Amino acid sequence: MAEPVSAAAHSGGLPQLDMAQWPGQMVWMLVIFVVLYLLFAKVFVPRVGGTIDGREDKIAGDIGEARRLRDAAQADADAAAGEMALARARAQKLAIDAQGEAKAAAAARQAEEDAKLAVAMNAAEARIAAARAAAMVHVKAIAVDTAQAMIARLTGVAADASEVERALAAAKPAQA
Amino acid sequence: MAAIEPMEQFLIHRVVDLSPVTIPGLGAVDLSITNSVLCMMIGAALVSAFFMFSAKRALVPGRAQALVEMLYNMIDEVLTGGIIGDRGRPFLPFIFTLFMLIAILNLIGLAPGGFTVTSQLAVTGLLAALTFGTVLVVGFARNGLGFFKLFWPSGMHWGMALFLMPIEMLSFLIRPFTLALRLFGNMLGGHVVVYIFASFVIGLGAYGLSGIGVNNLGLIGSGMSFAMVVALTALDFVIAIIQAFVWSALACVYLNEVVNLDHGH
Repeated sequence: MAEPVSAAAHSGGLPQLDMAQWPGQMVWMLVIFVVLYLLFAKVFVPRVGGTIDGREDKIAGDIGEARRLRDAAQADADAAAGEMALARARAQKLAIDAQGEAKAAAAARQAEEDAKLAVAMNAAEARIAAARAAAMVHVKAIAVDTAQAMIARLTGVAADASEVERALAAAKPAQA
Repeated sequence: MAAIEPMEQFLIHRVVDLSPVTIPGLGAVDLSITNSVLCMMIGAALVSAFFMFSAKRALVPGRAQALVEMLYNMIDEVLTGGIIGDRGRPFLPFIFTLFMLIAILNLIGLAPGGFTVTSQLAVTGLLAALTFGTVLVVGFARNGLGFFKLFWPSGMHWGMALFLMPIEMLSFLIRPFTLALRLFGNMLGGHVVVYIFASFVIGLGAYGLSGIGVNNLGLIGSGMSFAMVVALTALDFVIAIIQAFVWSALACVYLNEVVNLDHGH
């Protein structure tokens, strides 16, 4: 170490009060303070503050983005649910309509068949009636023939056909 | 045994001789690098290096970056934001510089072999002048002549206010001196007391070892003094940080008065 600049301490006083040491220290301190201040003002504070603000912005942005995505997903889910309900309603309506149509078609076909059957039935009944009428005519003729034959055998006298017919007609209501 | 010279630690030595520089208005100034100036430079370099290498832009801060950001948030939220408010942001670099510089210079003084720059009245006086000058410049720049409202106690009878105005003005003008003397006194006192107890450790220890008998009691005194040195050194570390904080907080209080003068205070 170099020699003490001043011998103030040895005289018992405070070395700090040795005014010879003031200007140099003050000038240096001022220069160093100004340099350090400029470093803080231009470099350190903007850098640290920017980093902190950037981080806060990033976190806030990320949370906002996440919230936005969640809302979008919720909206999509709601829309999908709505569409689903709509589709279900449409399908239900479609099913009911188809059912009604099918029922109506079946009813129409049945009615058609019924009508066809009725026509056939009527024709058959008419045929039966005709057959029966024809049969009845034959029956009457057979009855007359039988009666004539019976009369001829029993009495030996040939009965007149018209008389037999009359007698048969007279007896008929009882048989009917 | 060396003489007990508690003030010897505050003596200034030249480390690098430089020829005096003539500064206009001041005359020839000896700008030689002394132990005081050297420690100022080391302090400023340490602070710069710490911020240069620790203030990274990582999204997830590492340990050093977290420390830098913690310091930044302390100054921003507690001092400029907490005391001055929304208008405090522009003063953040100034307060930050004051805090870091005073803290590092206090701590260098506690390091073995370190010179306590902040125990130099010239240095604390200059920093106080800077702080006070900033308050004055900001006060007049923001308020013009309305700055003088600072000395007029509001909501008071004019007679009373007139009586109080000189007191207010005196308490304002005394601020740079209290700032400078508070730091100077704390550093001076802390180091002198540690020095004296440390000299007791040596003196009483030597006495204790000088013979058998009552002399040996000196060893007890030496041990107790050593415990005191340890405790006081720990206390001085706390004081080193607290005094830097107190200075910064007071600078904010003074700035707040002139920055928010129109808001009432």
